[in-house]
Amino acid sequence: MTLIGLLRFLTIGAAAFCVAALTFLTFRTFAFGRREYFSAPRGYAGNGIIYAFGRGMLEKESVALHRPTFAGGILYHGAIFAGLIYLFWTVLLPKTGPPLWAFRPVLLAGAAVGLALFIKRAAKPHLRRLSCPDDFFANLFVDVFLALAFLHTYVPALEPVLLSVSILLFVYIPLGKIRHCFFFFYTRFVFGLHYGRRGALPGSSREA
Amino acid sequence: MEHPTAKKDPLEEKLENLTDADIEKILAEFRRRFRAADVAAVHTCMRCGLCADACHYYLANGELEDLPAYKLNLVLSVFKRHFTTAGKLLGGWTGAKKLNAAMVREWVDTLFGRCSGCGRCTINCTSGINIHALIRAARGALAAAGLVPPELQATVMTAVEQGNNMGIPRQEWLETIAWIEEELRAETGDPQARIPVDARGARILYTVNPREPKFFPLSLLAAAKMFTAAGESWTFSSDHYDVTNYGLYSGDDAHAGLLSERLVKAREDLGAEILVLGECGHGFASTRWEAPQWLNKRFPFPVKSVLEVAADYVREGRIRLNPSRNRKPVTLHDPCNLVRLGGVIEEQRYLLRNAVTDFREMTPNRQKNYCCGGGGGQLSMTRYAKRRLAAGRIKADQIRKTEAEIVVAPCHNCIDQLTELSREYKLGTEAKTVIEVVANAIVLPGKTRS
Repeated sequence: MTLIGLLRFLTIGAAAFCVAALTFLTFRTFAFGRREYFSAPRGYAGNGIIYAFGRGMLEKESVALHRPTFAGGILYHGAIFAGLIYLFWTVLLPKTGPPLWAFRPVLLAGAAVGLALFIKRAAKPHLRRLSCPDDFFANLFVDVFLALAFLHTYVPALEPVLLSVSILLFVYIPLGKIRHCFFFFYTRFVFGLHYGRRGALPGSSREA
Repeated sequence: MEHPTAKKDPLEEKLENLTDADIEKILAEFRRRFRAADVAAVHTCMRCGLCADACHYYLANGELEDLPAYKLNLVLSVFKRHFTTAGKLLGGWTGAKKLNAAMVREWVDTLFGRCSGCGRCTINCTSGINIHALIRAARGALAAAGLVPPELQATVMTAVEQGNNMGIPRQEWLETIAWIEEELRAETGDPQARIPVDARGARILYTVNPREPKFFPLSLLAAAKMFTAAGESWTFSSDHYDVTNYGLYSGDDAHAGLLSERLVKAREDLGAEILVLGECGHGFASTRWEAPQWLNKRFPFPVKSVLEVAADYVREGRIRLNPSRNRKPVTLHDPCNLVRLGGVIEEQRYLLRNAVTDFREMTPNRQKNYCCGGGGGQLSMTRYAKRRLAAGRIKADQIRKTEAEIVVAPCHNCIDQLTELSREYKLGTEAKTVIEVVANAIVLPGKTRS
């Protein structure tokens, strides 16, 4: 087996480990038991859930008052998703290379935004003090992955480096903060359910 | 230098003499309270800090310790360190922190002293993490080790031991009702008007904040006038009429459940159809939403806010209102526990639009309204009074912008804080409950007072 072949195999293995570890983490999380609601509902949980993933995503102040950060975050996460598609395309379908013109701008923008978020975290005193090493490391790690994926679109010889970094990234995901991407959806779902059944959200749209 | 005979703060004393057994007790209770959604929050918080603008403490003081994400991560970091593999393996790298004496001290100061449990951070959190509920879970863990600030704990214990949080003796309560009954007869001109006590089979069992009989008896008169005008079948309980539940604030589910159980039992004993909660934000959240959880059972009867009942009276034409009796400009404060966390949002607006001539909304309002700063047990924890009043500046600014003369709040804790804020920030406003304003506008049959 060639070095590239071995690294491709390990990349798939690391991705499988990542999924398995996140699945295990999910089981461990649910082992704590789900909260049963005994109070009679006043509103509809479904409406709350729809709100949580819809209008509520834009109305929350963390978005409404921070549009550039929100836009950056969307771009960043979109780029990470694109980076993973690019990676698996490269590994699984090496003969039908991905459309480079489509990936290049996304990957570059993602890496740049990631770096900007890193600088913001480091530069803002309260954000810096709130952060732990993992916050900086995970951010940089993903930025390096995106930058390498971008460079790889020009320099195919970088594939061993891209794959090596990807392997480490997949191993790190279940251990560090990157796993938030996995649990975010459940947290948001419970948020919508909780406030929806109370009739507190979405509530009236007549806010002044 | 401290005077040798000066009595030491019992909380400080407890913190200084914290034992390993205390830490174990805190951790055990902390772990017991976590469910899947809470553990998911541990994995979800990105420490993005975008919740900063949501917190009135942070907006007013700008201190890191006031940042909701900071408060949340005090809680989550301990869970991570003690109950997750990554936290045990990687420790501080992932932000995991051991619960030691210093951390316990910070928990007490920050979680009790810098949070009113208003939940504004929760609805504005990027991920929707139930921040205030996790802070309450940590407060509950501290309560298990006797680390609730004594002033707050005393309020809980007064309610537990004396039946209401003001320690009003039964006889005094009954005498107050008798006096208000006379006032009601004078007000309505009906010599038969009554304030029923322990009336079996009444449709409504009405509960109030004990501050009403103690300091604001005219609030009782207002409710009695409304029920009388609506021809309602209602009653007070002679023993269990206290809608407040400071166990919500101390985090102590056992005492909170005990207080709730009394209201449930009073309703059952009197055979009332509906348990109606007076104007008390946290009392509503406690009895309507949390009590079934604390008592681990579904209630076979409806629990309603008096605002819902009053709005029905107006809608059904059971009471008629003349808004010209309330001509001063009025604004409305949304109590967090009733509105953002309780879901009672439009009823008070409907009532005010029918009861006053000049109603002005604050901005922001409804679920997005800022906390006045009086919740979370802050009014009873006098040691944090300076912070409470400082954090109230955000609410004071909101009120000032409306140029209203009357601030209406369906919550007696809020009323107290709003009254203090009016003094502190020279707002020149008067605080009233919704039912007081509604009662003033009621047109009684055969009466044409304007």
